[in-house]
Amino acid sequence: MVDAKKIAIAGAAVALVTIVTIFASSYMSDFENTRSSTQDNSETYELKHAPVLGSKTATVTIMEIGDYQCHMCKLWFEKTRPLIIENYIDTGKVNLVFIDMPFLGSDSGPASEATYCADDQGKYWEYHSALFDYQQEIDDGWAGATRLQAIALNLDLDIEQFDKCMITDDHYSRVSFNMQTAKKDFGANSTPTFIIINTSGNAEKIVGAHPYSTFEKIINSML
Amino acid sequence: MNNPFEIVYSQPFYILISIVIFFLLFIPLITISEFLFFEPFLVFSIYPETILSFSLIIILSIFSSLAVSLNLYRVKLIKETRKIGSSIIGTVFGASAGACSCGPIAFSIITAFGTAGSIATSFLTIYEIPIRLTSIGILGLVIFITTKSLSRECKVKS
Repeated sequence: MVDAKKIAIAGAAVALVTIVTIFASSYMSDFENTRSSTQDNSETYELKHAPVLGSKTATVTIMEIGDYQCHMCKLWFEKTRPLIIENYIDTGKVNLVFIDMPFLGSDSGPASEATYCADDQGKYWEYHSALFDYQQEIDDGWAGATRLQAIALNLDLDIEQFDKCMITDDHYSRVSFNMQTAKKDFGANSTPTFIIINTSGNAEKIVGAHPYSTFEKIINSML
Repeated sequence: MNNPFEIVYSQPFYILISIVIFFLLFIPLITISEFLFFEPFLVFSIYPETILSFSLIIILSIFSSLAVSLNLYRVKLIKETRKIGSSIIGTVFGASAGACSCGPIAFSIITAFGTAGSIATSFLTIYEIPIRLTSIGILGLVIFITTKSLSRECKVKS
């Protein structure tokens, strides 16, 4: 009887160690599996259709792969992004592109589509920022159809045009393309993931909501 | 010397076990929760908004290390193994709460299980703090019961 208990305890302990190891290795393998594919494909990615924040001729481009329902993306948006804008984007050294990877919930895709409907009226980045400002819990309704419409109203968008764009799924294929690009070409399997590339073709991948210091070091080494 | 903590941790083996278990949980949990990054270089980052989550990870790791080492001592003393299972359940429960944010684990779960995975992931993300608090509660209870039991058994033995 005692032997059976010992075996059960040993089994439970092994299970715990295995779970922790799987968690850690799953996280770490993210870097190893995708580094080479990133360097191969980042140079060929077509930026010309994506809204760009900052100068299109900047030396360095940051591609942010994100989901509007991702809490860590919001944290990066609030803490790191403003410092990058102030020190690098406003000075013309860096530009920023957002690549949608809406995987966290059913409201993620429509939220991404809404940003492109706003882009049709020239307010992509305003809508993008509003989504992160208003972000709440995953699929709790904050990014439902009526809330997306309310955000459009707040930004003084032509609501008829916005509604038509959303109903007819004008940008569904664009969001799907971005999702596939993020997963296949950049090997992203979490958000936020960042690809930083310069005009010489040097690329660096950053996984997670890193602090400003990480971006500062990498950008400075690429300028 | 009737204090169970003094009895157990007067032996270096149990201090070592506690330290190992603490780091075995603490490092993966702060990595998964994006406090610690190893790539492209080692960076630690914490914001005022994430202090609560970080504090709960520390408490969870400390409680797990105490619960497991105290129970290992108890197993050795009286060959009774029931409560160590509760501490492992508490630990797994708490560890899983923070693992399902926007990270690769959530992505794998959603990719593998579709809508069910998405619902599970969002549940674990939304209730991360209450789940961690619950698991800390379970571990606290295990520690309390174990120490009471140890002090009683030590008295009987002496």
